[in-house]
Amino acid sequence: MHRINDPRLDRTYPCGQTRREFIWEMGAGFAGVALASLLGADNFFARSAHASETQTSTNPLASKPRHFYTQAKSCIFLMMNGGPSQVDTFDYKPELVKYAGKSLPPDKKFINSGGRKMGYLTPNWRPFQPGGESGLLISDYFPRVREHADKLAVIKSCHADSHAHGSALVGMNTGSTFIGRPSLGSWCVYGLGSENQNLPGYVVMLDKRGGPISGQPNWSSGFMPSTFQGTLFRPTGNPILDLSGPSHIDKTAQRRQLDLLTKLNQEHLSKRPRGHELASRIQTYELAYRMQSEAPGAVDFSHESRRTLDMYGVGKQPTDEFGRNCLIARRLVERGVRFIQLYSGGGHLEDTWDAHAGIESNHGKHGAEVDQPIAALLQDLDQRGLLDSTLVVWGGEFGRMPFSEGENAPGRNHNPYGFSMWMAGGGIKGGMSYGETDEFGFEAVRDKVHVHDIHATILHLMGLDHEWLTYFHQGRKESLTDVYGKVIHEICASG
Amino acid sequence: MRRNMKLLFVLCSTLVFLAGTVNVAPGSGNATDTRAGRDWWSLQPVVRTALPKPDVNPIDAFILAKLETDGMRPAPSADKRTLARRVYFDLIGLPPTPQQLDAFLVDVSPEAYENLIDQLLASPQYGERWARHWLDVVRFAETDGYERDRLKEHIWRYRDWVIDAFNHDMPYSQFVCDQLAGDEVAYRGEQSLIATGMLRAGTWNDEPNDPADYLYERLEDLVHTTTSAFLGLTVKCARCHDHKFDPIPQKDYYRIASFFWAGYVGQENQGGPSQEQLGYPGIPVYGWTDKGQSVSPIRLLHNGERHQLGPEVDPGFLSAVSELDMPLTSPSKGSKTTTRRLQFAAWITDERNPLAARVFMNRIWQHHFGQGLVRTPNNFGFKSDPPTHPKLLDWLATEFMHPTYDNGKAWTIKRMHKLILLSLTYRMASLHPRGDEYSERDPLNRNWWKFNRRRLDAETMRDSMLAVSGELNPTMGGSSFYPRMSAEALEGLSRKSGAWSESSREERMRRSIYMMTKRSRLLPLMTALDFTETTSSCAQRYVTTVVPQALALLNNQFVHARSNAMAKRLLTEGGESPERIRQAWRLSFGRDPSQGELAFAMTHLREQETHFSRLHGASSGETRQEVNDPAKLALASLCHVLLNSNEFIYID
Repeated sequence: MHRINDPRLDRTYPCGQTRREFIWEMGAGFAGVALASLLGADNFFARSAHASETQTSTNPLASKPRHFYTQAKSCIFLMMNGGPSQVDTFDYKPELVKYAGKSLPPDKKFINSGGRKMGYLTPNWRPFQPGGESGLLISDYFPRVREHADKLAVIKSCHADSHAHGSALVGMNTGSTFIGRPSLGSWCVYGLGSENQNLPGYVVMLDKRGGPISGQPNWSSGFMPSTFQGTLFRPTGNPILDLSGPSHIDKTAQRRQLDLLTKLNQEHLSKRPRGHELASRIQTYELAYRMQSEAPGAVDFSHESRRTLDMYGVGKQPTDEFGRNCLIARRLVERGVRFIQLYSGGGHLEDTWDAHAGIESNHGKHGAEVDQPIAALLQDLDQRGLLDSTLVVWGGEFGRMPFSEGENAPGRNHNPYGFSMWMAGGGIKGGMSYGETDEFGFEAVRDKVHVHDIHATILHLMGLDHEWLTYFHQGRKESLTDVYGKVIHEICASG
Repeated sequence: MRRNMKLLFVLCSTLVFLAGTVNVAPGSGNATDTRAGRDWWSLQPVVRTALPKPDVNPIDAFILAKLETDGMRPAPSADKRTLARRVYFDLIGLPPTPQQLDAFLVDVSPEAYENLIDQLLASPQYGERWARHWLDVVRFAETDGYERDRLKEHIWRYRDWVIDAFNHDMPYSQFVCDQLAGDEVAYRGEQSLIATGMLRAGTWNDEPNDPADYLYERLEDLVHTTTSAFLGLTVKCARCHDHKFDPIPQKDYYRIASFFWAGYVGQENQGGPSQEQLGYPGIPVYGWTDKGQSVSPIRLLHNGERHQLGPEVDPGFLSAVSELDMPLTSPSKGSKTTTRRLQFAAWITDERNPLAARVFMNRIWQHHFGQGLVRTPNNFGFKSDPPTHPKLLDWLATEFMHPTYDNGKAWTIKRMHKLILLSLTYRMASLHPRGDEYSERDPLNRNWWKFNRRRLDAETMRDSMLAVSGELNPTMGGSSFYPRMSAEALEGLSRKSGAWSESSREERMRRSIYMMTKRSRLLPLMTALDFTETTSSCAQRYVTTVVPQALALLNNQFVHARSNAMAKRLLTEGGESPERIRQAWRLSFGRDPSQGELAFAMTHLREQETHFSRLHGASSGETRQEVNDPAKLALASLCHVLLNSNEFIYID
């Protein structure tokens, strides 16, 4: 890996943090720093160029150099909200047939989340079959994804810090099970900026059935400015909040408002030399005007071919919603959006992958909703030459128990001790699996991968070193992975 | 790898600890370059120095002396109109009405400005403005966060208590004491118990992975919030190891944590005592108290991990404040609590404590000038920004505790506001004739050579819109209102049904401090405008200038509704178009429009009216209904532009 710059060399101002962080920590002049580089690009400041403290800083969302060269430029995180069962999807455990009807050995310690009924070890509910040349075993809940087995690196040894949805979701998104820290997407746009200033750099699309448990903190920018928080995106019409006003304020009427606004603001600015924050704010209105026309275009499928729409399952049930979201994700990637998170499952229990009531009923339903769209996304990205530069991540906040929830019951309870995730594209070595759970599929035992390690790996593939990417806050250099995290080089194509 | 990291961590800690030990040895020299010792500036006694200049406002004495030393001159005074707007926003968070402004402008008496300050400080809206700053510091919100994000019933009474405390000029010493130990004070009562709501205003997880571990997270929240708020130190950094930069050994963390360890930190009753346990059965009090007068000792956790139990730690204070490093006294026989928090409060506000007065005076300065004298208001440790004027900070701190300048009462806040507001430093214009040169020399204005222009915060922006549209409902106190939240904005909630039921229109027109803050779903309009992050203490909000703000102010229905109401108001007040335009300018900016602006506005009204008339003719249904009064809509369009303008959002 060729390192093009070493941010550590720049970390000496004035007490270990970079100058930029220093200014942010002070809360000083952020107004002044925002958009300065954009304005610079427009020669907005040419008239009154001078070397002020703030001018050396940049638009927080401007594209920034990565720590080292990598292929991935964007990341699509497919969040299987609720926790899919590993032994029923990507982690084949034939021994469960042998142990069926027996209890998990007593030396296996775990928290019975929610104090639910205990049951007996239960084999996979649908058969597994090999996919691709690699022959990765993937169950019949994901037959279409299985066709892309050679693109996937399945991590079978994931483990997380919480058995409860609320904190585990926040954990998977922010690295901490306590709310209040910046999410993975925030760290990516903080570290890399965005390639398209007319769209948000970090987009989150929820399931229509509801948001994830804990809500907003899942896509929060935590102690960073709200500039870096995820923007909720809707799949039709106006994808972003406040993208249009009342209907009588049409384009003409609004243009007139903006023209008058600019005149008044320019007059105001002319009496206030060096009013950089004022100039920045003037510019945000022009950018907002552009975003109003650009953002709806991201969800307008009128130029997509019938074939593409069919491939994603758009206009057909049960794939329409997630298919649309996957297609939008591809369109956002094309437009340079840095980080996109799609939720499958929303609200609670069976509306998510939280299969307490039954694996077959639950995973059968949700699998059918997402399998074809995900396969289409991988294929479409690949066909368009975007897969190499797009990291696709699949997983939930935890997995599920290898035993049933109640005697001979069809469901399974939460399990943070061992579960599967996979990654594809964006510098990932395909057709492989990494790590192992025990013979029951209960807990990770070999090459264990903690949530911090997943985050470290994602940042690494995006060209960011998780130990360098820090944000100075309340006397401490904070990072996504805290003092932990280890990159899984084995699944990276470049090692 | 993880183990290696940890080992490295432990090694570093050890080295740092050794360095620290050398540092704090008797007779040791200055703080090293790598960390602070007990000789760190903020830990030294507060000393009142002689004023560097006689016969001027004491604040000016320090500021002018430094400017003179550096060969700089202060900016000229701001004009009366600018000053009036500045001080209105600053003290009550609302613009002056045209009548209020006129009254001040025509008053040519030398006391006019001082009278205005007195009048604003006496206004109940002062408390609403300044309480908000404090609510940020104590990470106030009204729900638990996490999955159920339950309402903290009656926690709004704490918000009202803070407003009242500011309005009644409660001495800061009591302000500290009631919030930390309102259940332990001699005058214990419903109000003092409500004050302890501060300790319960944070996040609370009803389903932690491991409740025994979670207890220590709660302790960290309590230690962090109280030590950040009252002491400006990052004591929480010493939870797992000795503080890396400040002379706070790990043991000190557990000394402070022991104060809260004695309370109801468990999993019952939303993480605190019930009304019965507080001694107020059936009365809506959401407060804090100890489980009894003796509790099991707290033990230090090696590496901060629960399974690595270390020695028992006796309650105590920060050892770095050597003069006040004494053991706590035991509670008297009949006491229902350990009295640890009461003693903590007394220790904080002991006149020999070097931090409390400095930290709070810095906050007062910060909210008047946009920046503190110490520009890291929650951190006065090694990683802080050094004070721009250390002697001024100390002078303010001593004056706060020992009034000499007037006959005021010790620790009262309003007199300190007044002292600051009367200074020439506060009255400087935001422009300086030598601005180009000075911006090069002192770009961060550390010498305070001009006044910093400031953007309104989220609340002030929203409240000001309601004020100029004539809709502001000034009703004070009581339970919070639920603002209108669009269906799209509610999508982020996992529990949709019954999650949000908006309040009546009248309620929704109240000031923003009374708006419900639900941790899992904050109002997007407010977060876009840099509303506080409610999970941990926030000393200073970000001021970002980004596209979503422009989108929100341009398109959000709340802003359009205010523009329409403002137009209606202007029409009701009568007059012809030019007069209405003038009135719109007076309401929004506190001045008349220039000839040029008037002409622009007239053109806008004419063009928009024509456009809306055409739309009316050509449309049907909802749009047609919407544009049935093109003249009014044109006026609303103009108002909308004013509400979006820089002059409305920025205060010189």
